[in-house]
Amino acid sequence: MSRPKEMTRAVIVGHKSILKETIDALHDTNLFHIEDFVEDESGFKISKPFKNAEDASKKLVKIRSIANYLGIESKKPVVQKTDYVLRDLDSKLNELDRTISAKTETISQLEIELKDLDSQKREILPYLSINLDFDYYRGYENLKVFAGTVKGSLEESQISSITKAYELYFDPQSKAIVLFVAKKDADKVYELLQGLGFKELRVPERGGVPSELLRFIEQKEAEVTKRIESLRAEIDSLKVKYADFILASDEVLSIESQKAELPLRIATSANAFIIDGWTPTEDFDKVVSVVNSATNSKAYVTSLEIEEEEEEHAPVEYDNSKIVAPMQQIMDLYSRPKYTEIDPSSAIFITFPLIYGMILGDIGYALILGAMALAIRTAVKSDAVKPLMDILIYCQISSIIFGVIYGEFLGFSLASMHTEHGVVSGLIPGWNTIILFESIGGEEFTFPIHRAHMVMTMIAISVLVGLLHLNLGFLFGFSNIARHHGMKHAVLEKGSWIVIELGAIVAALGYVGGNSVLTYVGAGVLVLGIVMLTMGEGIKGPIELPSLMGNALSYARIIAVGLSSIYIAGTVNDIAFGMIWADHSKIGFAAVAAILVFILGHGLNTVLSIIAPGLHALRLQYVEFFGKFYEGGGRKFNPFGYIRKYTEE
Amino acid sequence: MVDAVTPSLFLDAAGMKALGASIAIAVTGLASAIAEKDIGTAAIGAMAENEGLFGKGLILTVIPETIVIFGLVVALLINSA
Repeated sequence: MSRPKEMTRAVIVGHKSILKETIDALHDTNLFHIEDFVEDESGFKISKPFKNAEDASKKLVKIRSIANYLGIESKKPVVQKTDYVLRDLDSKLNELDRTISAKTETISQLEIELKDLDSQKREILPYLSINLDFDYYRGYENLKVFAGTVKGSLEESQISSITKAYELYFDPQSKAIVLFVAKKDADKVYELLQGLGFKELRVPERGGVPSELLRFIEQKEAEVTKRIESLRAEIDSLKVKYADFILASDEVLSIESQKAELPLRIATSANAFIIDGWTPTEDFDKVVSVVNSATNSKAYVTSLEIEEEEEEHAPVEYDNSKIVAPMQQIMDLYSRPKYTEIDPSSAIFITFPLIYGMILGDIGYALILGAMALAIRTAVKSDAVKPLMDILIYCQISSIIFGVIYGEFLGFSLASMHTEHGVVSGLIPGWNTIILFESIGGEEFTFPIHRAHMVMTMIAISVLVGLLHLNLGFLFGFSNIARHHGMKHAVLEKGSWIVIELGAIVAALGYVGGNSVLTYVGAGVLVLGIVMLTMGEGIKGPIELPSLMGNALSYARIIAVGLSSIYIAGTVNDIAFGMIWADHSKIGFAAVAAILVFILGHGLNTVLSIIAPGLHALRLQYVEFFGKFYEGGGRKFNPFGYIRKYTEE
Repeated sequence: MVDAVTPSLFLDAAGMKALGASIAIAVTGLASAIAEKDIGTAAIGAMAENEGLFGKGLILTVIPETIVIFGLVVALLINSA
């Protein structure tokens, strides 16, 4: 049973003149979890950040905004030397900033121009069919020009009845009208026009014939659009050219600003500093030697005795083998273990896939899901996805094993089976179901296990697995309490549950076997267990007694959820094959539909095969198993440092 | 006439068993749903505030699932009795 990595509380003390060297050395080791200093009455104060902090964070903001604007994503790293990156960081950054802002400014100017052209174009459109230079619309002393649209149709006779001195252009399609009349008749004409729903339109300022003007504007629009596109392409090429530089300098600057801002997190006096924190015990010597060599042994590094109260809050780093490590995701989803308790990752490594496999137990689905998980694992490089796929693969291995035990493939039975209606043949010819022994409820225990025909037996087995799982939880709880509060508490609080179970089992055996002495002994042990529990947990203990039965029965979901998956698969198979047999004379529509039903049905059930067994197996861990011992709430061990991807010293 | 036929049709032992099993599933299913509805909404509300609560929310939401599992077990027991 693994515990979190053992931690040592360490303190580094030194003169302020070596603070920078100490910080650099600590940062490089990436092994020291720094406890932020909170100012108190001790007289120590947090210090000011180093001088370069402001500069570094300013540049960092600039580089990140550029990266954001260019849409730079993390990619396969090209490792560069830090010195090299730092040497022309300023000049490159300024140049990049200047080019990009110049280009974006031009783009936005061009976009304004484009809008302007568009509105000019819209002004011209109504006049398009009136072949008259816009310069002729204005500059008259004795003429009034009406330019606009009307609602209805306009007859020349209506105007000629008012005045003979007029010139009318009318486009019946767009209802655009341009009317020249003498100023003295203008009022009357205006009245007439108003009756027709006249709306005045702006006359474009630019002179020229509408159709020619339109052609000119469209040409210009095309030119501007082309320029914008070329500028955008240039920015895109900047992205390709500078991606490595931006990623590397982001990293270098992040490191620089982390280091420069550290003085804000530590205690300092006028001339000295104290860095307080945690390091894995196995790495303590390394931290000491690194700090000493960086400061010529001028800094004083020492480990402190850990008080019990402090121990509760020590940062937690998992200490699991590579195979078990993916299970830490399941732990983190719930809550990281506290430093003082058992890290159950390695127990979950066994029990989670075991329960998942017991529920799913189908070779076909396991192979499909396993192949999918393998494919995703190789295709997606993300660190978040990989452990999940690993867990899924573990679960599928277990499903295949149980698939063989259950003899199931996509809901079909692999072995032949004897039923009341005669022998039903399985997928694998020659594999016959063997009857092993008579089980409970009048059922026969067979190999392979036909779950749908052995419901009672499987419920009993599921609950038994549950009891084993719960007792493992009690043992963990026992160990946790024994370590911190002594053996007596452990026996009373957790051991009592096991005593109660034993008593119940003995009593039940006696009752079933008709042995009254055994029944009384069992009952006595049971009462003893309850008394112990009351001593250990107070009145809360006996109140929680029924939960033990509830928890154990909850494991019946192993068979219940498993059966639901079998029934779905069986139904899909029945429908699909029923359709094929229905018209075996002609392989046509029904066969195609049958294949479709088969694929869609099993596709649906495959998805359900991740969700249902996964969630239920998870819940059995979180609620039933963890409820017996787990507290959680540990702090993540977060060492001061940086995992470099794009740069090196 | 109808009255004379009905009792034998409905009070058939196998039919009553099936009916009993279906009631066990249906009622516990509804009960789980009602309980999970309230917890689920609260859990989503909590997750909107803090995404780290997904794990806890999920666990709390599936706790009433036990009700319908018990229903299923009872139905299976009725069926195989």
